[in-house]
Amino acid sequence: MADLYLPATTDTPEIDFKFSSNTLHIAGEAYPENGVEFFLPILRQLQSHLKSISGDPIEFHFKLTYFNSVSTKILYSMFELLNEYAKAHPNSVLLHWYHDEEDDTILGFGLDIQEDFTWIDFNAIATA
Amino acid sequence: MFDQSLLNNSRAGLSEIEAEYIASSLLRICPTVSPGQTNSEVAKLLDGQHNLVSIAVIESNKPIGLINRNFFMEGMAKPYRHDLFDRKSCIAFMDKDPLIVEQNMGIQALSFKVLDSGRKTLNDGFIITDENGDYLGLGTGEDLVKVVSFLQAEKNRLVTESINYASIIQKSFLRSSKEDMNTVLQDYFMHWEPRDKVGGDYYFCKKFADGFFLALIDCTGHGVPGAFMTLIMAAFLGDIVLEDNRMDPAGALAIMNIKVKTALGQINDPGIGDIEFDKFAQAQKGQSDDGMDTAFCWVNTQTGMLTYAGAKTPLFYIGTISPDVHTLEPDRKGVGYIDTPMDYQWTNQQLTLTKGMCLYLTTDGIVDQIGGLKKIAFGKKRFSTLLSENYLKPMPEQESIIMQAYYGYQGKQRRRDDVSLLGFRY
Repeated sequence: MADLYLPATTDTPEIDFKFSSNTLHIAGEAYPENGVEFFLPILRQLQSHLKSISGDPIEFHFKLTYFNSVSTKILYSMFELLNEYAKAHPNSVLLHWYHDEEDDTILGFGLDIQEDFTWIDFNAIATA
Repeated sequence: MFDQSLLNNSRAGLSEIEAEYIASSLLRICPTVSPGQTNSEVAKLLDGQHNLVSIAVIESNKPIGLINRNFFMEGMAKPYRHDLFDRKSCIAFMDKDPLIVEQNMGIQALSFKVLDSGRKTLNDGFIITDENGDYLGLGTGEDLVKVVSFLQAEKNRLVTESINYASIIQKSFLRSSKEDMNTVLQDYFMHWEPRDKVGGDYYFCKKFADGFFLALIDCTGHGVPGAFMTLIMAAFLGDIVLEDNRMDPAGALAIMNIKVKTALGQINDPGIGDIEFDKFAQAQKGQSDDGMDTAFCWVNTQTGMLTYAGAKTPLFYIGTISPDVHTLEPDRKGVGYIDTPMDYQWTNQQLTLTKGMCLYLTTDGIVDQIGGLKKIAFGKKRFSTLLSENYLKPMPEQESIIMQAYYGYQGKQRRRDDVSLLGFRY
């Protein structure tokens, strides 16, 4: 599958999904008026990529600093996809969760993710 | 057979304003020349009418080009040009490929055409024809900009007026809650600040003989769609919180959940395979996935007992002994959303209130706002610190201190969400 790159805008994040090397980056903020419209094509590509590989290790670098409630729900679906994949292929998904050392909101959300998606290996990274 | 496409011809409101303006609205009647006329005739024409920027060249009613004043003048000003060109056909200095538009073209389509054709058209103008391609007159870039700006301003005015009035309606829905709050709470503040004049945040208060019911609500979305949601919730709340279940906030959340899911058809059918993606496909087809995060509280004023049930919305409180901020943690499911099961049960938590205790409820608008030097979220820690440093002050003063800190933190960052904050001293 071709790699996917979308530059950041004011209300959508930078998406850098290198399917070729199974390295996924997402950075910036996500509060588009219509979150489904923005995220759905991305989710579909991720989903079909996951179907095309079996057990290849995936690294996900998550560097969002803000996401609205609609985006939150869609991000949950994204983690659900990855969690399913990791369930079928244990220890295959590593989630690097970047948060500013003072950002308790993003860290808190990450801890929720860790609690809810137990097949994904979680690595919180505090940045200064 | 009824032709469904006829309905698409309906024009109303905003689209109507735009439809009133078409290319012919910009029509200026200007003198023309024919290819048989000479450059010296063109020069005379231009000399006689100083505001004439361009002259169309017409051959049997059809435009074949456009002569621009400056280009023509500069061309003719060079040495020997008069001798060479005076008697020749005026097509010598004509632009053979000007923008030509039909008189019924909409203003928006026209603007894109003009921009596409480059700077030339903004300067020289463009030719307007009738349906048969026969010449009618010229349009200028300046007139186009004027009309586009006017349309923009007019649309803004309509949208703004409409939202201003929507705001009056939304506020009037809050009035009875405000009145009840005023009766049951002595030292309190209720800060309600939608991001876009109307919004998805909402509060509710209802007084009973033995206590009061209090709710702070954050519906999905903000602006107009958010406000729609609050009206739906307000209607349900009024029906749900009655004598018999006022003491059971968790039960009220469960009823709200069923009502919202049913009303908006937000039911997830786990029998169908790829659930998540069906859900999104539905959203694209107009299926909503909306609901609310909220805290419901029942305060029994006879016993001083507060019963709280939260859907992703915590309750903060400070006791009378130390300035430490405590929280009652909410359940992590929102109300009404597709992935919240129809029979989901929230939990009631109880808190014994003592005189002087301070309680706070907030939607995520404050805590999640991006700002500060690092451009990160305001955060619970910062919020809690503000509460603990100021809880002894009168509530309205606390409101002002917290909001000032918040505005300062937000700085030049865009407001991300609606903001609601309730504080009261028992």
